[in-house]
Amino acid sequence: MVRRYLRLLTVQLKASGLQALQYRADFFTDGFTSLCWVFTALAPLFVVYSSRPEVEGWSFGEALLVVGWFTLLQGILEGAINPSLTGVVEHIRKGTLDFVLLKPADAQFLVSTQRFLPWRAFNVLTGLGLFIYAFLLLGRGPSPLGLLTSLLLLGTSTVLLYSLWILTVSAAFFVVRVDNLTYLFTSIFDFARWPSSVFKGVAKGALTLVFTYVIPLALMTTFPAEAMLGRLPALSLVGAVVGSAAFAWVARRVWIRSIGHYTSASS
Amino acid sequence: MISVHGLRKHYKVHKRPPGLKAALRSLFHRTYTSVKAVDGISFDIRPGERVGFLGPNGAGKTTTLKVLSGLLHPSEGEVRVDGHVPRLREEAFLKKIMLVMGQKQQLLWDLPPAETFELNRAIYDVPTLQYKQTLDELVGLLEIGDLIGKPTRQLSLGERMKCELAAALIHRPRVLFLDEPTIGLDVSMQATMRTFIKDYNEKYGATLILTSHYMDDVAALCPRVIVIDKGLLSYDGSLEALVQRVRPEKRVVLRLSEVVDASRLESLGKLVTHEAGTAVLQVKQDAVNATISRALSGLPVTDLTVENAPLEEVMSELFAENKARRLQAAESVPA
Repeated sequence: MVRRYLRLLTVQLKASGLQALQYRADFFTDGFTSLCWVFTALAPLFVVYSSRPEVEGWSFGEALLVVGWFTLLQGILEGAINPSLTGVVEHIRKGTLDFVLLKPADAQFLVSTQRFLPWRAFNVLTGLGLFIYAFLLLGRGPSPLGLLTSLLLLGTSTVLLYSLWILTVSAAFFVVRVDNLTYLFTSIFDFARWPSSVFKGVAKGALTLVFTYVIPLALMTTFPAEAMLGRLPALSLVGAVVGSAAFAWVARRVWIRSIGHYTSASS
Repeated sequence: MISVHGLRKHYKVHKRPPGLKAALRSLFHRTYTSVKAVDGISFDIRPGERVGFLGPNGAGKTTTLKVLSGLLHPSEGEVRVDGHVPRLREEAFLKKIMLVMGQKQQLLWDLPPAETFELNRAIYDVPTLQYKQTLDELVGLLEIGDLIGKPTRQLSLGERMKCELAAALIHRPRVLFLDEPTIGLDVSMQATMRTFIKDYNEKYGATLILTSHYMDDVAALCPRVIVIDKGLLSYDGSLEALVQRVRPEKRVVLRLSEVVDASRLESLGKLVTHEAGTAVLQVKQDAVNATISRALSGLPVTDLTVENAPLEEVMSELFAENKARRLQAAESVPA
């Protein structure tokens, strides 16, 4: 079973790689776009920290770790999650989801692995580069435990991001056009470039609560950065693991229910 | 192989009158109506049978095919395909069937069809040797050797359709659902597709359900037809018997060496067409022999054939009959 799905993933990855190479101009444009994304992620940080040494207890070097996580996850989102799942919306609109549902394999797996953008791996590498630069600025390295915890959190963050996307595209089974929802999601994800405590002063801390429990951006970037710095409370780690598992479970249930609502476009 | 009993598929559809006021009102108060796409049909299909699904647009043909392939859940009724309940979408069931839709495609648009074949091989878990054999066979029969390496977007509609068919058959399905597979194809490509589908059915004993608006497809492939109209089954039987029932008269086609007055032809039977040295007469079946001998003895006939009425005419007459019956039934219901 696992071997079969791994082989399927390999074939889907190969097809995505071939698609990326199919158009030469697109291939280079995508690479250039990835580079620009990194600079847009860093620019606001430089602006804010040019006039103050720290924000809500986060020094520039520490905040850079959060941006590193943001860049890395953005690479995963834009490269591995977003292309496939926005394809689902198109499938539903055109009725070609029929072909996915007719295949003897898990439909969620098939739609989630149908498209990858290999160039977005550049963001992931840049994220890693930012970690190194941040620790150089901080004049120390992460503890082995901190590194291990942050690796675990990389898994939970990816699961969270993926689950949130599944929930978003599941709406397409009911409302057909979810472009606005996906734009909204991408815009909200942008907040994840900041340590979650910077939102403490907004609406009496309500925004921090929202970004921790409702749309758990804090779990995705702030928690892993804190883990790297060795200051993440154990309870938060447990919360991140349980929270991501809960989100994945809910997303799976919603997806299965949504498929039942699929009416297929007429011929 | 396929059994359908009392199948109903009803959709709840939001309905509102035109205009801005109605649109605003519908934001808060929506009215729904139930559309009966399929309204209680039953039939059984034996293994290896080739059956044509016929009916006007919106009759419920595609809905029935989608229920049979597990894409849509029936509102009521019992459906089984080779012992499986389609809506459960069990892997064993999905490995036995295929659905080709002439208006939708599964081939990866930017990549050559060979990549879609490879993907389907992995999805259907086809053993390497069987995959190679099947692919060689499909490539040979469909003559797509030069095409499978070109990006799909560069292929013509006919070439794409042949590759679509190959992609859907990589796993050697036992039940084929074909929804308008020849739509938009030129005459020779349609003929190629028909020959291929028939050969596949005969070689592998696959069961086949076909919907098509091209009556030539149905005549060439389906000894049995099921006619659905407004979600109801209006005929199930042999194509030949359907023609006999709706249009029992035969067509006598005469090729004439010189111009003949229409009144002379009308004395032989009902004149359907008369142009450029060809006359088509409609005569009752028991009068065919007499008409032929009178024509041969009294007219300058160079060639003569006896045919059934064109299937298109038979079908439109059947649909018109059904419509008239529905109207009559509606009028007889007391207000």
